[in-house]
Amino acid sequence: MGAAVDHVTAMGMSGGSAEGNDKSQGQRFSCKSKLTALVVDNGGVCRAIQTALLRSYGVDTEAVETGEAAVELIASGATFSLIIIEMLLPFMNGPETAKQIRAMGSQSKILGITAFFDERDQQEFLAAGADDFIEKPLSPEIVIPIIRELDN
Amino acid sequence: MDVVVQLQRQLADHTASLFHEGFLNDQFNQLQQLQDESNPDFVVEVVSLFFEDSERLLNELAKALEQQAVDYKKVDAHVHQLKGSSSSIGAQRVQGVCIPFRNFCEEQNIEGCLKCLQQVKHEYSLVKNKLETLFKLEQQLIAAGGSFPTL
Repeated sequence: MGAAVDHVTAMGMSGGSAEGNDKSQGQRFSCKSKLTALVVDNGGVCRAIQTALLRSYGVDTEAVETGEAAVELIASGATFSLIIIEMLLPFMNGPETAKQIRAMGSQSKILGITAFFDERDQQEFLAAGADDFIEKPLSPEIVIPIIRELDN
Repeated sequence: MDVVVQLQRQLADHTASLFHEGFLNDQFNQLQQLQDESNPDFVVEVVSLFFEDSERLLNELAKALEQQAVDYKKVDAHVHQLKGSSSSIGAQRVQGVCIPFRNFCEEQNIEGCLKCLQQVKHEYSLVKNKLETLFKLEQQLIAAGGSFPTL
């Protein structure tokens, strides 16, 4: 059954921008186990920000520009706890990329991401094997619960 | 009055107005949270990337919209990227114009698209200007021996 679209979940955290990363308390949320992630996005700004966000939580993160590059990386043996895939990639689109990754037997958590949320895109992505589908920007509210889930 | 205190005040006021006037939203705060000793220039780097990217996209959009036979799929792809990047750095007003832009694109409404292109160019140049001022104030503050909170 397709997962619900991820929205802000109140996981017992205080509201506002300091969720889970309040540096004034000297503690930033960090993952417990050795987690890895792959960001697949043809936009440099989004790649940079998503990568930095994940790394800030201790997740070993790589980024590629195309679905083809992601598939190649995984075909070469790389495994990731989490793969974030942009919907509108230039050649092989997001859902097609997810499909090929799943076809290789990958059990990674796959998060589809897009600039404009669209139900048809959501359906397409989930049918292709993504676990979730959200609208940009990637935020702590989205990422922290995912990391917690992967940690357990 | 101590020049450091003066600059801190200017910086705080300028930053506050950026949020108050809706140029930036909380996502920009998230970027500042990602800046630390291991990543000391993160915000400036990412914002510079945003400037380069946006200028390229705006040029591509202008070119695409002046074709005889407009390729709306291409236009949509550019608007999609612009919304994605602007939302990721918290450039709220730029992000906002992308929404009607995309709708006009879906309707293949050339007039609407051209109008949105003008609007998004305008919003982009406003936020670019204000961010450049922000960074300049930060530099002046550091040069004067002060520092600024990244929260």
